[in-house]
Amino acid sequence: MWENLISGAVAALTLANMGFLVFGTFVGIVVGILPGIGPMVGMVVLLPFTFALAPDVALSMLLGVFCGGYFGGAVPAILMRTPGVPSSLITSFDGFPLTQKGEAQTALSAALLGSFGGGIISVVILVFLAPLLAHVAANFGPPEYFGAGLFGVTLVVMANRAQLMKGILLLGLGLWFSTVGIDGATLSPRFCFGTLYLQNGLDIVPVCLGLFGIGQTLLLVERKILLTDQMNLTRSTLDFSKLWGTLRYWKTLLRSGIIGTFVGLLPGTGSILASFMSYEAAKRASKRPQDFGQGTPEGCLASEAGNNAVPAGAMIPLLTLGIPGEALSAVLLGVFTINGIYPGPLLLVKEPVLINTLYFSIFMINVAAFLMLALWLKPFAMIVRVSTTLLAANIMLISVVGIYAVNTRIFDAAVAVFMGVLGYILLRLKWPVVNLVMGVVLGEILENRLRESLSIGDGNPLIFLSRPISLVLIILTVLVVVIPVYKDRRKRK
Amino acid sequence: MSQEPKEHSRVNDLFSAILGAFAAFSLITSPWNVDTEGPDPFYKGPLIFPIMVLSMMTLASLPAWVRLLAPSAESSWRLDGEGFPKKTLVVLGLLIAMLAGLGLIGLEVSAWLFLSITLYYLGHRGALKLVVLPLVITGLIVLIFKYFLGVFFPTPMIVEWLWG
Repeated sequence: MWENLISGAVAALTLANMGFLVFGTFVGIVVGILPGIGPMVGMVVLLPFTFALAPDVALSMLLGVFCGGYFGGAVPAILMRTPGVPSSLITSFDGFPLTQKGEAQTALSAALLGSFGGGIISVVILVFLAPLLAHVAANFGPPEYFGAGLFGVTLVVMANRAQLMKGILLLGLGLWFSTVGIDGATLSPRFCFGTLYLQNGLDIVPVCLGLFGIGQTLLLVERKILLTDQMNLTRSTLDFSKLWGTLRYWKTLLRSGIIGTFVGLLPGTGSILASFMSYEAAKRASKRPQDFGQGTPEGCLASEAGNNAVPAGAMIPLLTLGIPGEALSAVLLGVFTINGIYPGPLLLVKEPVLINTLYFSIFMINVAAFLMLALWLKPFAMIVRVSTTLLAANIMLISVVGIYAVNTRIFDAAVAVFMGVLGYILLRLKWPVVNLVMGVVLGEILENRLRESLSIGDGNPLIFLSRPISLVLIILTVLVVVIPVYKDRRKRK
Repeated sequence: MSQEPKEHSRVNDLFSAILGAFAAFSLITSPWNVDTEGPDPFYKGPLIFPIMVLSMMTLASLPAWVRLLAPSAESSWRLDGEGFPKKTLVVLGLLIAMLAGLGLIGLEVSAWLFLSITLYYLGHRGALKLVVLPLVITGLIVLIFKYFLGVFFPTPMIVEWLWG
């Protein structure tokens, strides 16, 4: 074990890994600060470039974007009441009032410390929990994997149950997209509509890049994002003296980091829920709950610790089961599979150096993001003044050229443009796009495990109930549906 | 985290109905669109999962069909007050033209033209934003994709027409 840890540390500290990790973190902070852009756009735009990189370097770069995005999202939320990433909306509840009182530095210190602390706590949990979960997952057969996938998609749908039918439609669409192409088991063409181009199927890369790289930026063409142009920041760096004052909220930091990690672990829940639950838990535990929402640094710290704990938390089911914890980690799954590495319980055994490299990389990303923002706070904050239409045009161009570059096929770029149109419509209608992405990602896992399970059971679906782990997962899936519906009905009465 | 939609727009029902109609059509035509000539029983075959998924989509769209055909008094065709997306459609058209231009006039020209025209249309002015910036971005894209990553871009057709 120690040899693998040391090898992982050595691999993480190479010039290539550190360079791309810092670059990815920088890009992540930039796209996180820019309202309406976000880490997903940064990840999908950089995704085509990862084909030229070693898998550990590629993953470090994309993880840098992932984590850096959540760091950056707090800055406009605090200074301008405009969240850079959706989960930073919670941070603005206390961050902007503090700015209005002339205490922007206090809010930013709390937010950055929260992000840093949440990230570190989640990495520690990842290091200990991933092997445990992998040990359990080693006993998984096809029925258990199907049960885990079903649990995952059900969580995704129920997380957006106010739009239940829309969520189911989008999940179904994503699952259907995953069936297009040649069926792996029987080599039968499916839904190719007589064209050779569709025989390779619809991959996660053009789908994600189209939905977010093109769809999200089409939305920016006509939409004004900034709620205010005024930025109340006099110093160009973080005021480090304010950091010591926020350290007294260490219990809140610990609690929020743990909550965020476990929320990130659950598929479909995402950073908004992590941020909200951490904030609410801090408010309930606080001796002065009336201060929350009026401008307390503890609120900023709790929210940011919760949302920045999500990336490492989402890595746990991704590495051990091959099931991404959220849409952003679905992009990371793409990098794994493109490099012929298949996440699952055996991954920690077969690729221990890669896994340990990722642990160290996530740790260093949090350090790098904290230092970058602390030392270059004002220059980063000024990025919000760049015209969103200028950015949108450039992002669209890079996305289209990037997706062409993956397989040198114009057809892939055309698929991305089609997905961009679909993404624009869905984002404009405010439908839960994450359901579509999770459907595309989990479709193949669900289908293959379903068919394998039915083969084992000679077509008898009771096989899912005859195995204990599978039965537990099916029961959990039912509970995930029944309990929220019951609670919602009680609230209405 | 679950969020309540603020008001009911019939545009949502229309889109749900379109997706549902597509799913129903694909479900009905699936025996012709999926090759099931293999020796496997149905539960191992390539059709079981598409049928489950498309059925789920069709059923999920039924409430939208009902609302579309029998709308309530509170529903309307108003979406979000942002109006018809004219600028978005024009930019989309320019993007598609750029994609077509990759093969016709080459990456360099089509990328530079896309950026210049799009930025002009979106209200940016001045040589810096309309000429220099697109040149710099195009140059970086060509440098990174063609030379650093070694991505193959076909010879533009116009070059073949003019110089053979």
